[in-house]
Formats: sequence, C-alpha cells, structure tokens
Amino acid sequence: MIEVEGLSKRFGRTQAVADLSFRVLPGVVTGFLGPNGAGKSTTLRAILGLVRPDAGATRVLGTGYAALPRPLEQVGAVLEASDVHPGRSGRNHLRVLARTAGIPQSRVDEVLAQVELTGAARRRAKGYSLGMRQRLGIAAALLGNPEVLVLDEPANGLDPQGIRWLRNLLRSLADEGSTVLLSSHVLAEVAQVADEVVIIHHGRLIRHARVEDLAGGAAPASRVRSPDAERLERALAAAGIAVEDGSAGALLARAPAARVGEVAAAAGVVLHELTPEQASLEEVFLELTAEGTS
Amino acid sequence: MSLLTAELLKLRTTPRSLTGFVILVVAIGGLGAAGMIGGTPAAERDLPQFDADLVGIAEAAALVSILLGITLVTREWRHGTITPTFLATPRRDRVTLAKLATAGVVGVLVAVLALVVVLAVAVPWLAVIDSPLEMNGDVRERMGLVLMTTVLWGLLGASIGSVVHSQVGATLGTILWFLLLEPLAAVTLGLLDADTVADYLPGSVLSSAGGGPDEGLSVSGGVLVALAYVAVIGTAGIVRTSRRDVT
Repeated sequence: MIEVEGLSKRFGRTQAVADLSFRVLPGVVTGFLGPNGAGKSTTLRAILGLVRPDAGATRVLGTGYAALPRPLEQVGAVLEASDVHPGRSGRNHLRVLARTAGIPQSRVDEVLAQVELTGAARRRAKGYSLGMRQRLGIAAALLGNPEVLVLDEPANGLDPQGIRWLRNLLRSLADEGSTVLLSSHVLAEVAQVADEVVIIHHGRLIRHARVEDLAGGAAPASRVRSPDAERLERALAAAGIAVEDGSAGALLARAPAARVGEVAAAAGVVLHELTPEQASLEEVFLELTAEGTS
Repeated sequence: MSLLTAELLKLRTTPRSLTGFVILVVAIGGLGAAGMIGGTPAAERDLPQFDADLVGIAEAAALVSILLGITLVTREWRHGTITPTFLATPRRDRVTLAKLATAGVVGVLVAVLALVVVLAVAVPWLAVIDSPLEMNGDVRERMGLVLMTTVLWGLLGASIGSVVHSQVGATLGTILWFLLLEPLAAVTLGLLDADTVADYLPGSVLSSAGGGPDEGLSVSGGVLVALAYVAVIGTAGIVRTSRRDVT
C-alpha cells in the first residue's frame, strides 16, 4: 500500500506537485501517467523519501519511507538508469547495495540471473547500454524481494522482449499481492499491464480510474477500409456518423464497429477492414491532459 | 558497522580511481624520501633529528587523504549513486557519519602506505651509505604524528564533501583555500598584528597537529582545534545532506 496525501512540492518557481492525493493498493498494478513534467518523478521521489514535501505526506506500508526498518526488503525502486558509478561493475554495484542493506550476497547473483545480466555482470558499467543499465536498476529493486515496487519509466531503453518480460514480472508480483506503481508518459504502454491508472497533469490529479472504465468514457471509433471508400463515406455520413481520414487510406468512423458494419451492409459496400479503434485510450489521455493546459 | 564496510567496499570496487590514489601516495612518499636523502649533506644526515624528519616526509600524503575524503562523499552525488545509497539507508545522518568514519579509516591506510614507502626507500638506501635509520623514540613519535595528520585531513575532506556536494567545487575550493586563500589571510592578519588568529586557520591548525613548525598551536591544541573544525563542518554537512532534495 502506498498513500499520498495532500502532497505539494515546489522547485524554485515551478509548482511540481500541488495538493495531490491517491492510494495504490496491494495486488494491483497501478499506472502513474502524465505528460513530461507533470510531476510524476517528484511524486515518486517524495514517496521514496528522496524529496522533502512542502506540504502533505506520503506513506509506504503505513509509514514514512525513512521509518521503514529494512527499506530495501520492503520497497524496491527503479529510478534513473544511470545511477551507477561508471568504473564499478554491475555485480559490484549490487554487492554494495546488498552490503548496505544487510541482504545476503547470494541474492546478487540470483537477481542478475533473473534480469539476464549475468554475462555482463563483471564488466564496468561504463560500457553498458541503456537497456543493460535499466536491467541493472530492476535487479537492484528486486534485491530485497520487496512487497512494494515503484518504477519510474522502467520501459525506457528496454527492447521489446525486455518490456514483455517486465510486464509479466510486474503482473505476477501483483498477483502474489505486491503493490506495484509504475510511471509512464505513454498510456498504451501502461494499459497493457495496469489495472488502474492515476493520471496527473501540472502536479494535480486528473483522474484515478480502472483502465476499462477509462476507455469506456471515450467516444467509440472504428477504422474501416473499403475499395469503394467514397460510397462508404457517403453512406456513413447519411447515417449521421462523422468520418475522418484515417491512416494508410483507411477511414476513421466515429461509431462502434458493429454500427459501421450495419451501415456498410445496408449500402452494399464491400469492406476490407473493420477494427474497433484502440487509440481511443490514448485520446482519452490526451483529452484529459489537454484540459489543464488551456 | 555494515555501513562502514559498505563504504569501504565502494572504494575497493572502483579499482581505477583507487589505483590512482595509491600511485599518488607512492609517488609522494618515494620521491619525498629520495629527494630528502639525496639532497641532505652527509654531515646533516647523521644528526639525531634527521631520521625523524625523514619519516615525517610521509605527512605530505595527507593531501591524498583529504582528496579521498572529499571524493568518497562527492562522487556519490556526481554519479547519482547517492540515490540508491539513500534508498538503502534513508537515515541520511547515518550515511554521512559512516562516510566520516570511512575517511578516518582511509586516513590510517594512507599513513601506513606512505610510511611503508618512505621506509622502503630509506632503510636500504641509508644502510648502503652507512648511515642506517635508527628506529628510536623520536622516529616512532613522528610516525604517530603522520598517522594523526592523515586521519584529521581525511575527516576534514569528508566533512567538506558533505557540505559542498560538487566534486569539482569541493576539490578546487579546498586546494584554493590551502594554497592561496589561507596564506593570503595569514599575511593580512599578520599585517593587522593578529597572528594568533592566523594560528587558528585550518591549514595552520593541521600543520600544528602534525608537529609542524614551532610557532602556532601545540600538537594537542592543533588536534583539538582540528577536531572542532571537523565537528562544525561535519554537523553542517549532516544538516545540508539531510535537507537536500535528491532529484
């Protein structure tokens, strides 16, 4: 469980976070979304005791981070991928953390194997790719087998296999009852794994909802392709359905796929494609985060 | 205790930068001893004071000690490893205290290495030219003072680093102070007939604590004032480190 209550933080003239409150429950993957500069990292760092709030409070497992008796065994965090001394090997980076936290050194090789970094573990971190650094960061977070995971843009630099691996890992940890909070500025990326999303903009809460409820709130749209696009467009317009030019010669019809199919059948137009538009999730996000800008 | 061993592990696991510091100590001790033996006329080499002064050359390694003290704090900020460090130990005062303690341990190691190098040059050389080094009470006392000096400089370095987190800023600032600003301040104070105040400036205090020139504070006075500097700057460092946002 992670609780954020009335959190506010200002850096100089920038109000990074303003009176933000939300709760992250165990057994659930919660996506933490917002455009760049929305205050996500500041909020995560406040939760982890790295940033002192101007007002409000954050609690992890019922207490402030600094009061956790064995922090690395309770909370794992993936922040910036570059937080490694370039002259130290990945394995030694983890050995230092294990030593600091009193975690058995045997865990180091276990987590290295888990993130598939064993081969490069004894090389200096200077030569690591961004993806390797990200894996090292994830290894560090898993070192203490924590029940709470906080991840800031963890997919940065990971290859598609890595992203899928991470998704499966987070899913299984949440299913075992862990609390998982991961930030991203890409809704589609988070929607594949998250059960809930917390959306913030300009440091304020915009929406906290289950992913399916969020998508349901958007106007339905369908991608449709026909060899006789002009006639289809006329038929749809006649049925009162707004039509836009979609990508790659397709049309974007502002109606559920079933309705578009019925109209096309009634008009006798051949369809080559009819797809419910998934991007509507992304549009919800853009719509929600555009409101604050105006 | 685990924090102290973790800090030492941090030093051991960056072999290149560690090697650089070791080379610096070896160079300072070796060249210092060689220069002193080679540059002293035979008659003076037989004076009772010579052996103690020769061992005292190792004191110059205090420079490495203060640089190491600064480095072991500031490089964590420079490379961002301060974030995982604070995640593992959110009580930041403990981190700062562990770093101060580590700087003390490192000071001991620097002194031991510097003395070993000085002796490795001096003992065979002086034996060959038939003026063997005598391990008398003065020499042993001087070794103790070398140890004291490197520890104090190390502690001062770590406390400076915990206030000024920029590696370049802390290092340059420290060098600038000891080489330029403090001598200027001492001269100015001398012109104002305030030489006693100049005795309490950090460089002068550290020199007194190491049994340096006869003017200024006594050895014990120098040690006490140096520890007071460490206490004041270290406390400021604990406060500064605890308040700073890690972004």
